[in-house]
Amino acid sequence: MEIIDSFIPVAVFVLFGLVIPLAIMFLVKQLSPRSKSPAKFTTYESGSVPTGSANIMFNVEYYALAILFVLFDVEVLFLYPWVTVYVNDTVMNAVFGFSTGLAVFEMFIFLLVVFLGYVYAWKKGVLQWIK
Amino acid sequence: MGIFVDIYDAIMNFLIFFFSTWELAPWVRGIVGGAVIGGVFGGALVMVYLERKFLGDIQSRIGPNRVGGRFGLLQLIADAVKLFTKEDIIPANADKWLFIGAPIVALTSGFLMVAVIPFDLLVIKGNEYALAVSTMDVSILYLEAVSALAIFGIFMAGWGSGSKYSLLAGFRNIAKMIGYEVPLGITIISVAVMAHSLDIVEIVKAQSSIWFIIAQPMGFVVFGIALLADVGRIPFDQTEAEEELIAGWATEYSGMRWGLAFFAEYFHAVVGAIVVSLIFLGGWNGLPLIGNLWIPGIFWVIVKAIFVMMGMIWVRGALPRLRIDQVSDIGWKVLIPLAMLNLVWSTIIGLMWA
Repeated sequence: MEIIDSFIPVAVFVLFGLVIPLAIMFLVKQLSPRSKSPAKFTTYESGSVPTGSANIMFNVEYYALAILFVLFDVEVLFLYPWVTVYVNDTVMNAVFGFSTGLAVFEMFIFLLVVFLGYVYAWKKGVLQWIK
Repeated sequence: MGIFVDIYDAIMNFLIFFFSTWELAPWVRGIVGGAVIGGVFGGALVMVYLERKFLGDIQSRIGPNRVGGRFGLLQLIADAVKLFTKEDIIPANADKWLFIGAPIVALTSGFLMVAVIPFDLLVIKGNEYALAVSTMDVSILYLEAVSALAIFGIFMAGWGSGSKYSLLAGFRNIAKMIGYEVPLGITIISVAVMAHSLDIVEIVKAQSSIWFIIAQPMGFVVFGIALLADVGRIPFDQTEAEEELIAGWATEYSGMRWGLAFFAEYFHAVVGAIVVSLIFLGGWNGLPLIGNLWIPGIFWVIVKAIFVMMGMIWVRGALPRLRIDQVSDIGWKVLIPLAMLNLVWSTIIGLMWA
């Protein structure tokens, strides 16, 4: 089976995802009542008149966590291809004559390095929420 | 008897056509796959009803009982009528396109997840065909990627609503997700390591003798917690904490537009339950030792998914909501080390099985 065959149904599903909500909202437009009054379209703020803009500035406590997340996510991405080859890697077989265990050993070293970085971040207090 | 054999052969030949050789087959699978979306939609409805009834039992209440006789079965239809006939309001302060687009993105993410879910493995004339809308070599990676799209939907709703509550909920959602996507990804890799494949069909096949919940119980616990956070259910529903943020990112939504966002959430919960039943509870493999009992595999997948759904509702009834800094702490300081430990464990087991 070609790769494109796997993704044609996915494309059809994207179409479903666009069409179904729009069709439902069209139906709602036909069924639901309409009455205009300016108070109806104000932002809800516990019943009082809204003050200021909604896009306020506030302290994002997890700024450092977000940077750490990018690193960890890339690490996870490295693991995905390794999953399929670690038992019998043809490249390893060609170079070293054996492969089982070698790729695992390498990945454990990689994990150890990542884990050391993780411990370092923890000791530096990056994982703490409240600053 | 001859005619029955002919009919049987015709059906089998059609199925083979349907699954592989015919060049229009992918298009037909995509369109017929709409029925699977409908099925999962029905599952979400069932979950809404089950949740109300079951939570009622947990809290010594009756739950819905007024509409539709003794069990309140028509309550769902009454809700649907209400949602369809409520006025659709887009606040003046909202960013219109983000506001409209948010439920669509969240719902589409759920639909795309359904596309690779296999429900059974059919053996036709010696060849195996997975009963899925689409099969691919990296379906578990694809599944994780499209499930993460829902986060964008929630942040679009939070930012586009033009409300302070929604914005705070959107930021909380990002804070939650960056803590839980990593353990989720690592436990998925742990499962794939044991099966030597990123294909969900292969992962389920690898569980024919022993379920992965038995082979790596810690992975199941980490995955379960991360999944609860991923679908945003109590104790991880800080993004719509009604005591703190009114309704969180859905504050400005009303009527059917809110209904779509709500359904996107339940859609994710149902698909999440099916994924757990596939990658940890053996999928269509029946029970260990007893086997399949000649019951079709799709039945086993659905029964296991319902059990997982009941577990989710039970957790909701039993646990209070966590504070957002506690959520972040659990994700970063507990789940990530446990997930890495589990990866090492499953790699060693996977090598021994190879």
